[in-house]
Amino acid sequence: MSTDRILQFELARLNAHLPGQRITLKDALSSSNPQVVAKDGSKHKFERMELEYISKIVHADDWDKLRLPILIGVNPKLGRGAAEISGEVEVKVISQVLGKECRNPEMVIYRPEIAVVRTKLPTATQYFFMVG
Amino acid sequence: MSFKIATIADAETAAGFALAGVREVYIHEKKEATLAKLDELLASEGIGIVFITYSIAEELGFDFKRRMRAKKAIPIVLRIPDKTGRVPKVDELQEIIRRTVGAEIIVKGGS
Amino acid sequence: MAKTIGVAPTRMELLKLKQRVSLAQKGHDLLREKMDALVIEFFGIVKRIREVRAGTMQQLSSAYRALSICFAMQGTIETYQAAREVTKVAEVDISTRHVMGILVPVVEAKPIERHALTRGYGVHLTSSVLDEASREFERALGDLIKLAEFEEGAREIALELEKTKRRVNALEYVILPNLKSMVKFISMRLDEMERENFSRLKRIKAMLEGRE
Repeated sequence: MSTDRILQFELARLNAHLPGQRITLKDALSSSNPQVVAKDGSKHKFERMELEYISKIVHADDWDKLRLPILIGVNPKLGRGAAEISGEVEVKVISQVLGKECRNPEMVIYRPEIAVVRTKLPTATQYFFMVG
Repeated sequence: MSFKIATIADAETAAGFALAGVREVYIHEKKEATLAKLDELLASEGIGIVFITYSIAEELGFDFKRRMRAKKAIPIVLRIPDKTGRVPKVDELQEIIRRTVGAEIIVKGGS
Repeated sequence: MAKTIGVAPTRMELLKLKQRVSLAQKGHDLLREKMDALVIEFFGIVKRIREVRAGTMQQLSSAYRALSICFAMQGTIETYQAAREVTKVAEVDISTRHVMGILVPVVEAKPIERHALTRGYGVHLTSSVLDEASREFERALGDLIKLAEFEEGAREIALELEKTKRRVNALEYVILPNLKSMVKFISMRLDEMERENFSRLKRIKAMLEGRE
């Protein structure tokens, strides 16, 4: 049925904005034009101010461990309005932005917090829709 | 990528923008000629932003609106007040917000 | 009712339908999340527009005023002359950033505030009112460039938001209810057929037993 096809199309499109390859904070900081390229070839530029903000939070030793953009994982199973952040360094950054403490390698954040993160780091974070 | 800036305005406003260093300055006289210029600017690969006054956009009417719907992302077209400071009664942004928030309420009620 | 369905009431079809319901439900939930996220993005950019719009309009007003003064004191012809002679270097750098499936512009003005001597209008025209008008318009231009970035971004996000909302609503109010009622109908029909079958078998059995 055509509605199913539209649905498949929309679902495939959900993550089309994500880059084929993310770059490390280290590479981004040293590049004169830090950006990533999406699968369709379109470019996404990182704001230097955001990179610098993150570099102050993350220990220099971990700069090559942090991959950008940081993914805000949307999984409907978490319930409407919730998203998850994975990765120790990623969690550290987001915790700092939100002003909370979190030692776990994963954290769940809620809509008002997502808004804060997106306001502070609009180019360094991206939504990731978990379709599977 | 580097882009030029363009302005479609009355003579005085155009002079102001020219003084600020804007290269492509077009003074509006007749509707057809201005629409042709607008089309030229919209199709040009080198123009990044087009500033046009509210008065002129209003005068161009539906022909302007249609082009705004059909255009690509670049150039960005921004309407600005001319020296009279007149802005349209209906704030487009407010309208969009009302549409967004209004419908959002319906969706929330349904789930 | 069977005519409007166009699908044979078989177990196979029921299974396929249930899968479609599952897909539609998943699609609805995900698209709704996307819609929620777009609302966050939209209001984020609207906030930025609100922050800069008033200041920009004020600066533009100042610029028009300074220009009027310039026309009055420097002369109309001279002002237009200067406008023609000025070196035209105002340019912008436009790059893009992704906001969920759509590309939104990132605009940066190449620094344009210039000095009276470097603007390019002939020395005989240099005057403080001309400088003032030029400076005010240079500032206004800078503000307007930022405003252009946000307004365009808002426009594109709003468009995507409307599109996504339509899909969510179509799924929630038309497609899912439709599919679910089809599932219900076919389920009931299958049960009915099974009952008919069962009673038919019972009758046959009774007949066979009657014969013996």
